Amino acid sequence: MVSTKTLNYSVENIVKSFGGAKALSSVSMSVSGGEVHCLAGENGSGKSTLIKIMSGVHAPDSGIIRLVEKEFSSLSPRQAVQEGVQVIFQDFSLLPNLTAAENIALPTYIYENSRYINKKSTMKIAQEALDLIGVDIDITLPVSEISIASKQLIAIARATNLGVKMLFMDEPTTALTRKEINRLFTVINQIRARGVATVFVSHKIDEIQEICNTITVLRNGSVVADGLMKDFSTKQISEAMTGQDVLTTRITPELKSIKQKVVQVSNLSAIPTFSNISFSIAAGEILGVTGLLGSGRTELAEAIFGKYQVDSGEISVDGLKLPLNSSKAALAAGIGYVPPDRLTQGLFLEQSILRNLIAVGIDRYKKGWGLLPRKNLAQVGDRWISDLKIKTKNPANPVTSLSGGNQQRVVLAKWFATNPHLMILNGPTVGVDVGSKREILEIIRDRAQSGMSFLLVSDDIPELIQICHRVIVIKNGKISKEFSESELNESDLYKELN
Amino acid sequence: MNERLQRMSTSGLLADRKVTQLMGFTTFIFLIFTIFSFNIFFTPENFRSMAYQVPEIAILSIAVMLSMLTGGIDLSIVGISNAAALVAAYIMTEQMSATGEISSLWIIIACLSGILIGLICGVINSILIAILNVTPILATLATMTLFNGIAIGITNGISVSDLPKQFIRVGNGTFFGIPTPFVLMVAIAAFVGFLINRTGLGLKLLLIGTNRKAAQYSVMGDRKVIAWTYILSGFLSSLAGLIIAARTSAASPDFGNSYILLAIVIVVLGGINPLGGFGTVTGVVLATVVLQMVSSGFNALRFSQFFYLAAQGGVLVAVMILNTVLENRRVNKSINKSLES
Amino acid sequence: MNIRKLLRRNETVLIFAIIIFSLVIGSKSPEFFTTANLFDILRSSFVQLLFALGVLIVIISGGIDVSFPIVGIFAGYTAVVMMRKFQLNEESLLIPITLAIIIGAILGGFNAIAIAGFGIPTLIATLGTAGIFRGLMLSFIGASFISDIPVGLDNFSTADLIKFESDAGTLVRLHVLVIPVAVITIAVSLLLNRTIFGRSVYALGGGIEPTRRLGISIKRTQAKIYMLVGGLSGLAGILYVSLQRKANPYDLAGSELDVIAAVVLGGASIMGGYGTVFGTVLGVLFINMMKNNLVLLGVSSSWQRAAVGVLLVLGITIQAIGENRKSKRQKTAANKEKE
Repeated sequence: MVSTKTLNYSVENIVKSFGGAKALSSVSMSVSGGEVHCLAGENGSGKSTLIKIMSGVHAPDSGIIRLVEKEFSSLSPRQAVQEGVQVIFQDFSLLPNLTAAENIALPTYIYENSRYINKKSTMKIAQEALDLIGVDIDITLPVSEISIASKQLIAIARATNLGVKMLFMDEPTTALTRKEINRLFTVINQIRARGVATVFVSHKIDEIQEICNTITVLRNGSVVADGLMKDFSTKQISEAMTGQDVLTTRITPELKSIKQKVVQVSNLSAIPTFSNISFSIAAGEILGVTGLLGSGRTELAEAIFGKYQVDSGEISVDGLKLPLNSSKAALAAGIGYVPPDRLTQGLFLEQSILRNLIAVGIDRYKKGWGLLPRKNLAQVGDRWISDLKIKTKNPANPVTSLSGGNQQRVVLAKWFATNPHLMILNGPTVGVDVGSKREILEIIRDRAQSGMSFLLVSDDIPELIQICHRVIVIKNGKISKEFSESELNESDLYKELN
Repeated sequence: MNERLQRMSTSGLLADRKVTQLMGFTTFIFLIFTIFSFNIFFTPENFRSMAYQVPEIAILSIAVMLSMLTGGIDLSIVGISNAAALVAAYIMTEQMSATGEISSLWIIIACLSGILIGLICGVINSILIAILNVTPILATLATMTLFNGIAIGITNGISVSDLPKQFIRVGNGTFFGIPTPFVLMVAIAAFVGFLINRTGLGLKLLLIGTNRKAAQYSVMGDRKVIAWTYILSGFLSSLAGLIIAARTSAASPDFGNSYILLAIVIVVLGGINPLGGFGTVTGVVLATVVLQMVSSGFNALRFSQFFYLAAQGGVLVAVMILNTVLENRRVNKSINKSLES
Repeated sequence: MNIRKLLRRNETVLIFAIIIFSLVIGSKSPEFFTTANLFDILRSSFVQLLFALGVLIVIISGGIDVSFPIVGIFAGYTAVVMMRKFQLNEESLLIPITLAIIIGAILGGFNAIAIAGFGIPTLIATLGTAGIFRGLMLSFIGASFISDIPVGLDNFSTADLIKFESDAGTLVRLHVLVIPVAVITIAVSLLLNRTIFGRSVYALGGGIEPTRRLGISIKRTQAKIYMLVGGLSGLAGILYVSLQRKANPYDLAGSELDVIAAVVLGGASIMGGYGTVFGTVLGVLFINMMKNNLVLLGVSSSWQRAAVGVLLVLGITIQAIGENRKSKRQKTAANKEKE
């Protein structure tokens, strides 16, 4: 059935604030059926908020949502689904205790307002959905037992199954190999041909150039570019996303000597996640680690910190062998770890900035009887606030009063305060505004210059190029290639990753 | 589910305000009952009686407060307090001669044994919760059943009474004019308040309650801290049990079954503040006083004790609703700011 | 489903435990294996099973309810009082049962308001409402023991489906309740597995955010859950009154531990998202088998609670060890999700 009118979905002048912070300032965007529209922007640009508003999770403070011919000032999630709007979030929103089949089929039952479900029709719905995107997974398994790559495919099958009219995909390729990305793009082309309006949310320029027809770029909550994909060059898109005034030149400090290895990792294995990982880091050296999501890079970082179970191998710091699988030993040996999600893993949100700053190694602040002397702690707090230029008037304020970039500095300071030999950073600039990103890299550079070694895990290639001395690429749990200082460039890194 | 239990803490910014609010509320309740039943309520006997009953409940509530600060809960406090009381009472009555005399040494041994029981029970809780990772609600429900069950089994449901005179004197006597249990309570409250606010253990406790995951990533020995929390809770419960035995001159396996609801009401009313602060313990003591006044006032007004039970439930639900409404407003403001990407 | 998985399932372990305990008890005293005794175990399980089914639904949804026995006795007692007061047909069985179910559902509605409406954590909310319900009942509806309950209810307690005298001279009776209770049990199982409401209960236990994104109304589902549990508890309460042949408003309080123990031992996870009716039935039978037959082992009845306590502690320990091992193996998947 071909319709002569193209269906259009748009938002007009959307404004949204949370507390005092403005997430979206008068944002307008329009997508038509049969179009793949890119919604581009860095973390913190407002992409997620816009998606949530269009799918009914949040209500805008002002502005209009237009779905085909209907106008809304706000939506409920159920309404959004009924109007054909579906979102595949980054966490997939799957229920781990239900089977894959049920996860795929449930929305169909709910959409049709059914009251009863039966196993046979559930399996049928699920199987058809998977066949539609050409995927073969055991759908009788509970989702908790399914790999992450398969989970994403299940999420996609679920969304496309519902006769979706407008589909948001939020960073869908983070966990996919090149082969799977190709398959995904095939499916996207299929649904495009069927008249679905797809919004492809990503900050990966090469991918969006491949699949998208039109593009909207958000930065700091405003639309900074909008139009046909073919009218924008790679450089223009990149500059629109990051803002032209931010430097991306290399700031890697000069390495005094590579002979003195501070950290030596030999044959570290945690089957089946990674195996036989070996590398070394010199004093003051910044070693980058990258790989696709699921490659084992986070697990490796956490393993060196003793937080991820390893089966065999050796880690030594300053010549001393480290007991494996013990964060306590790692901390004592001078290793620190900044986790990727600062809100849930790095910070104590209701607590004060001061308490967050002293949270690691509390025992070393103790005096007799286990007491914590207030004056000393206050001094420690003041020192780090000035050292890392954390913008706050009062260390007793809750850490939620800080911006994302300043919060990240608190997490960094917390670990710097332990004076580690090796700092492991996992995605240290994620969710940080563009200006702060550069400043955080400068902080890292300064510490490296004083002799601190860094293991920087990141999927932000430009960032790795800016600051690392060397970069190792992890693929399927093994080091696929090590880039020395001279070999380090963007295009080769991208190629190796894919 | 633990998340939800964590989120029911009051706003840090409201913390000290909470204590002043509570003081205002205490005064208000005091006035109400004084007005409506002056003759019975506003008498030295009544105040004395309240001053003797408040300590055991306050100490139990402080125990619950500790476990709630870490984001868990200890439902076995009454089971532990009864067990401790029974052990102490049993030893004392066994050593008592026919004339009702007993050496002070044996009283001390009996009390120490009771405390030991409290520590053992606390260790059992710690093993389940800190080592085996069982959710506190489930673990302490199980141990509550176990401790209570063993107590009933050993005593056949019969209470041990007629405890030694020296012991009863502690529960009903005075220390420089102030009821002895009350003095003990103040000492314990001061100790716990100091622990939370001035020691490394206390800070870790608060941080773990705020964000267990971040505490794990900050390598502060979170499991050890949680283990100590439940051991401390067991210790405090045993102290409360001894005070109850001294006051009532009896120990029974089923005493104070409604105390667990009362303790939770008190903690919720007094405000578990994730930021800690002396206000927390003060709040708990104040809330205990308020609820004891309500109990005594209801009594004076000839309301049935069951009405007091309904009132406890009502206060709990009302305060929770208030907290949740305020909490939602506060959380939405500050957290969303940093969550947005 | 392969054999290894089947063996690891909670229900299988429980069946083995039941078999082992039966053999142990039976070997000490063969009276255990008589039909009379087995029918007795069933009879003592009916009321508990109805309560347990309600608790199961709540636990699967990720919550916990400690008010259900109070709701039960409130409904049962009040139904009897109302029948007296309003001089309703005392021979009817339908009237008190309907009354009790309605009262139970209303009380469950209050739980629903607290939990679904105001978002109060379930343990705290139901702890509070239990106090409110109990306090109000004993203050205003009555605190007296009613031994002469309406005739219809009274007669029902001896309504036996099967009744005969065994060779040994003992009375063997299977109460007619076995049929409706079996029907309700099957109905609840079908509800949980074959209806969207049932799957929503599981979904809630699996995660609030994904459930919301599916378009399922969390508040409506929770409201239905607690009203359903209320109704079930009310039914259990009035049946209890009938079987006991008395309405004692002090009864049933404190029995929540046994029921929760049964549900947890039956395999429901207190974190939510998992649990089956079959497991709950096994759990209830197991607990009752324990409690009723300790006497046969020469253990006095005052140790019943301790027995339940030991079982519960053992059960959660075993479950916890299994969980800890499982999560180590699944760390790969879990850690990747963190990114």
